[in-house]
Amino acid sequence: MIVEGSVLPVRHANIDTDQIIPARYLTRIDTAGMGEHLFEGMPDGATLLAEHPGATIVVARENFGCGSSREHAAWALLGRGFKAVIAPSFARIFEENAYTNALVPVVLSPDVAEGLMSARHVVIDVAAETLRADGGEPVAFKLDPLRKQFVLGGGFLQYLNAKIPAIRSWEAAR
Amino acid sequence: MPRSLFDKVWDAHVVEELPGGNALVFMDLIVAHEITTPAGAIAIEREFDDRLYDAQRIVAMIDHVAPAKDSATALQGQTVRNWAKRQGIVFHDIGDNGICHVIVPERGYIGPGMTACCGDSHTCTLGAFGAFALGIGTTAQAGAMLAGCLILQRPKVMRVEVTGTLQAGATAKDLALTVIATIGFRGGTGYVLEYTGSVIRALTMEQRMTLCNMAIEAGATTGMIAADATTAAYLAATPNAPAFSLDVQADPDAEYAKTVTIDGSAVRPVVSWGTNPGECSPIDGVVPFDAPAESLAYMDLQPGQAMTSIAIDQAFIGSCTNARISDLRAAAEVFRGRKVTVPTIVTPGSQVVRRQAEREGLHDIFQDAGALWTHSSCGPCLGMSMGVLAPGMRCVSSSNRNFPGRMGDGGRVHLAAPVVVAASAILGRIASPAELPAIAPREAVLA
Repeated sequence: MIVEGSVLPVRHANIDTDQIIPARYLTRIDTAGMGEHLFEGMPDGATLLAEHPGATIVVARENFGCGSSREHAAWALLGRGFKAVIAPSFARIFEENAYTNALVPVVLSPDVAEGLMSARHVVIDVAAETLRADGGEPVAFKLDPLRKQFVLGGGFLQYLNAKIPAIRSWEAAR
Repeated sequence: MPRSLFDKVWDAHVVEELPGGNALVFMDLIVAHEITTPAGAIAIEREFDDRLYDAQRIVAMIDHVAPAKDSATALQGQTVRNWAKRQGIVFHDIGDNGICHVIVPERGYIGPGMTACCGDSHTCTLGAFGAFALGIGTTAQAGAMLAGCLILQRPKVMRVEVTGTLQAGATAKDLALTVIATIGFRGGTGYVLEYTGSVIRALTMEQRMTLCNMAIEAGATTGMIAADATTAAYLAATPNAPAFSLDVQADPDAEYAKTVTIDGSAVRPVVSWGTNPGECSPIDGVVPFDAPAESLAYMDLQPGQAMTSIAIDQAFIGSCTNARISDLRAAAEVFRGRKVTVPTIVTPGSQVVRRQAEREGLHDIFQDAGALWTHSSCGPCLGMSMGVLAPGMRCVSSSNRNFPGRMGDGGRVHLAAPVVVAASAILGRIASPAELPAIAPREAVLA
C-alpha cells in the first residue's frame, strides 16, 4: 500500500479534535459529510486548506488529535481526501481511531516532521514502513504491528468477531 | 511481583495477549450515548445481524443534547432509543437523562475493579471508583459491543501522590488543573495516573470524580483511585450498587514507571488563561510573561495581566467535571443573596442532580441571582447545543476544555472551579469568592 501526495503543513502543536471537527457537526448517525467541515475549528484552518488544494497528507506538530474521542476527526480527514497524518506524537484515542479507519498515523521525530512541512511530494510505503520526500532518502517509521493489518486490509470488527469464542471461554472460566 | 492498582485490574481482564504489546481486554461495562453510538450500532446491525456480546453489560442514555435540538439530533436519539429497546439495553431517556459520567456513578453501574469504556473521552471519570475506565472511538466501542473486548496497548503507570491537606479555597478542580500543570498538558500520554496520598484519601467521591475526569486533559489513558470506605459508602447509597470488594489495592512496594509528588497543601485556586487546560495561573496571579504568543493572541490577553482584571461575557456552571450536587451547593453558597452581572447558565449533570438541587432550594438561589437554571445536558461545554459563544465572547466555565472554538467558533474559555465561576458571574470579571463584599444582614434576610 502506497500513500502519496502533497502535504498540508499544520504548524501547531496540540491540535485537538474540536479544531479538526467542531462538535456542532457531530449530529449524524453515519460517517458521511464530515470532510467539508474539516479544520473549521482551527483558527487558520480554512486559509490553510485553500492554500494547499489537493493535499493528501497532514503534517503536524506534537500531540495531534488530543481532547475529545470523536472518531469524526478521522472521518473528516478521510472525507476530505487525506490518507495519512505525520506528527511527532498523537493522542491515544485519535491514533487508535486512525488505525481502525486506515488513516495512516506516522510518528516521526520532531525535526524530521518539521522538515516535511515544506515537502512538495511525499510517498509513504505502508507495508515497508518507510517514507520518502521529494525523491530523497527513505526514512523509516514504526507502525503498531497488530493494527497495521487494519490499515492494509481493514477488518477491525471482523478481527474481534473471530475472537468471540475465545472470549466466551475466558468469561466462562472467570 | 508487586503490582499497582492498574496492573491488578488490567491483569484480571486480559483475555489474550496480542502482538506488538497489545492485549484483548474484557469490558465489564460499555456506556453508550446518542452522539457516538449510532454509527457503531448500525455497523453491527448491518454486518453482524445486530448481534451483541452481552446487552446486559451496556447502559445507554440521552446525554449531550437533551432534548434534541433539531431533526438530526432527534434521529441520533431515536436511533439509540430504538436500538436499546430492541436489544433490551437499560436506557435513560430524556426526563431521566444526564451526562453519562454523572449517571453511571449515581446509579451504581460502576464499581471497584471493573473495566468500562465509552465513546467519550471523559470516561476516565469512573476511575474514581478504582475501575479502569477509558474513552475510545465509535468503532472500538462497536467492537466492545460486538465482542466484549477492546484491543489496547498496555499503558505505563504514573503514581501521582498528593501529600498534605487541601487548604481553604482550594477545590478538586484546582487540584485537577494543578496536576495537569505539573506533569504537562501531554505529560500523561501513554500512562494511567494512579492517584494516592493523604489529599486523595480525604476527597469525597464527587471530588475524586472531578480529579479523574481531567486525567484525559493531561493526555493520560485514564486516572484511577483505589476504593476505600468513602467509595463503599457512596456505592451503598446508589440504586444498583454492584457487589464489590475493596481488596483491589496497589501493593505497597509496587513499582511505577514514573512517580510525581504534589504538595496538596500548596494547591491554590487557579484559572486557565490559555488554549489548553495546562495553561493556568493562580487566580491572584498574572498571565505568565512567557506565555505562548499564539495562545495570547487567541485569548486576547497580555503577558503580566492580572487574572482578576479579565472581564467576561458569560459564565457557565455544568459539565461532567463540575455539575454534581456538591458543585451546585458550593456555587449556590456564593450566589446566595447576590446578583449576576453577565449571562449565567447553571446546568445540572443529570436530572437526578437537578431534582436533588430543587429539593434543597438551590434552583431558587440560582434564579434569584439572575442565572438561567436549565435541565441536564452537556450544555455550553462543547458548543453543540445551547449557550454557544459568538466569536470574541469570553466565558468563565466549570467545564474541562478551553481549546480554540470549543464553546463556539472564536469563543474564549477560562476554566475554573464552580465557586470561582459564581464569583466571576457576580463581578463580571474573573474573581475569587474572597473578593465579594459581605452581604449586609438586611439584604441577606430579603434574599
